[in-house]
Amino acid sequence: MKDKPVSRRRILKTAVQAGALAAAPQIIPGSALGLNGAVPPSGRVTLGGLGIGSRGTSVLRSFLSESDVQFLAICDVRNERRETIKTLADQQYGNHDCAMYSDQEELWARKDIDAVLIATGDRWHALLSITTARSGKDVYCEKPCSMTIAESRALADTFQRLGRIYQAGTQRRNGPNFVRAFELVRSGKLGKLQTLHAEAGPGERWAPLTTHDWLPAEPEPAKQVCDWDRWLGPSPWRPYNSQYVQGRWRGYFDFHGGGILEWGSHTADLCQWAGDVDGTAPVEYEPEGMGGITPYSIRCRYANGLRLVLRDKGFLGLGSCHIRWEGDAGWVETADSGKIEVSANLRGERIEVSPEEARRATANHVRDFINCVKSRKQPRSNALAAGQAHIACHAVYIAFQLGRKLTFDPATDTFVGSDEANRMRSRAMREPWRI
Amino acid sequence: MSQVIPPMADEKYGTPAQIMALPQERLIAILREPGASVYAKAKACQRLAVVGDKRAVPALAALLADPQLSHYARFGLEPNPDPSADDALRTALGKVKGKLLAGVVNSIAQRKDIRALEALAKLRQDEDREVALAADAAMARIRPPQ
Repeated sequence: MKDKPVSRRRILKTAVQAGALAAAPQIIPGSALGLNGAVPPSGRVTLGGLGIGSRGTSVLRSFLSESDVQFLAICDVRNERRETIKTLADQQYGNHDCAMYSDQEELWARKDIDAVLIATGDRWHALLSITTARSGKDVYCEKPCSMTIAESRALADTFQRLGRIYQAGTQRRNGPNFVRAFELVRSGKLGKLQTLHAEAGPGERWAPLTTHDWLPAEPEPAKQVCDWDRWLGPSPWRPYNSQYVQGRWRGYFDFHGGGILEWGSHTADLCQWAGDVDGTAPVEYEPEGMGGITPYSIRCRYANGLRLVLRDKGFLGLGSCHIRWEGDAGWVETADSGKIEVSANLRGERIEVSPEEARRATANHVRDFINCVKSRKQPRSNALAAGQAHIACHAVYIAFQLGRKLTFDPATDTFVGSDEANRMRSRAMREPWRI
Repeated sequence: MSQVIPPMADEKYGTPAQIMALPQERLIAILREPGASVYAKAKACQRLAVVGDKRAVPALAALLADPQLSHYARFGLEPNPDPSADDALRTALGKVKGKLLAGVVNSIAQRKDIRALEALAKLRQDEDREVALAADAAMARIRPPQ
């Protein structure tokens, strides 16, 4: 059994309270002293979790594998999930210390927690990220990071104002093959960048439009089993159905941004990064292929003339989440297999990334976040970059919903000449929630 | 393979897609119809968020005190560009209580209605903590500290 970990904040507090420690001899665990390769508490980042399901568990495993991270508490509206995550953490540390909460206020009140992993459904992401930052903690939040343009802007502004660290769960920014493609762009070997292509939701399951449907009502479970009101959070009320809480909430307008937000939050985000346009969004959006029927595409243009195309077809079959970046002297294309294809003139530049290495994206991304929590530098998927990429994706989604070309002013986050589009930039939150 | 559950449909008005394809006048009529379902009214409110004008405001305002539909009414009112939406929300401050009042305050904050400041200042002392906190946040949003 491992020595019981001691948090960085707790040992510092104890040291202060003890007034330079008592003179009597003490037996101190090796892990508290940083012996035998263990990271001392002063070097550990303490972590809590909010709403950890299947994807969240995968990310949490990356955190748990880092020796300088200590997971202290889980908050979830579902009892089953609280228990599962507690078991996972307690087994990792060989203790029974992982606390369980159903109300996020209790997690925020924990002064010994530095950072929070948020992996609820999308409807909660921006609200929880912002309120967690206000409680004085850093945030790693799964994507899509927001439900609207207004939430995206609030997210970026809040983290900038408060100086908290934010990492969106857009882990491909730390995926070795995507990084390699990015470096090719930045090396100038593609020439002047012309068009950025982003895969956005292949197949009917990831159609660009969502539905306003409700599933039939089922009896609500007891609050301690699943708190339905809290599960809904800021979303409009609808009757309980177990399908939603079992993960089948995607595709509903109230909870999800369709294929555009689901995948564009990765691929359009990568394009913004490659195009060096992290601080803005396209000014024109022209959808083609309507009614939620695939194939579809949307052509966007930035103020500097650079083009962004989101489409669900026509890539080279390199796995999921394709990007293709075209310059006037060559192109590069890659996806989740790790394979990288380049134009004939750049064959010497192609560096293979193994599938195993490509799968390190999440681990690398988590490490990037931990490093930044310690250094207070900005991680790759920081709040401004993620906020702007999400604004672009929401503008795409709105253009699809209205079925027409839209012009957008990124300086003011307003659509030019479309009252309907402007009214879709935000949604009233259910009481009592607010940002 | 998971079972595909057919979504709900309203007996009178059909699917959400059918309801949301109705013109504004028909959507307002659904809100005013005493026998219309919560489902139909909810979908009408959500569509009116995008297409509703001044004519939609009274019907939406009438739902602000309805525990099941108050949020949907705000969903429809909050983005409505007509100033009568501000009047409706301000009037509701004296008519609703508790969570619903906090919601109305939040919508006033979103719309940055400067004419509500006096009423919000009083609500900062409300005995309901949620309402008082909402009023505090609303005042900061409408008139941020210089």
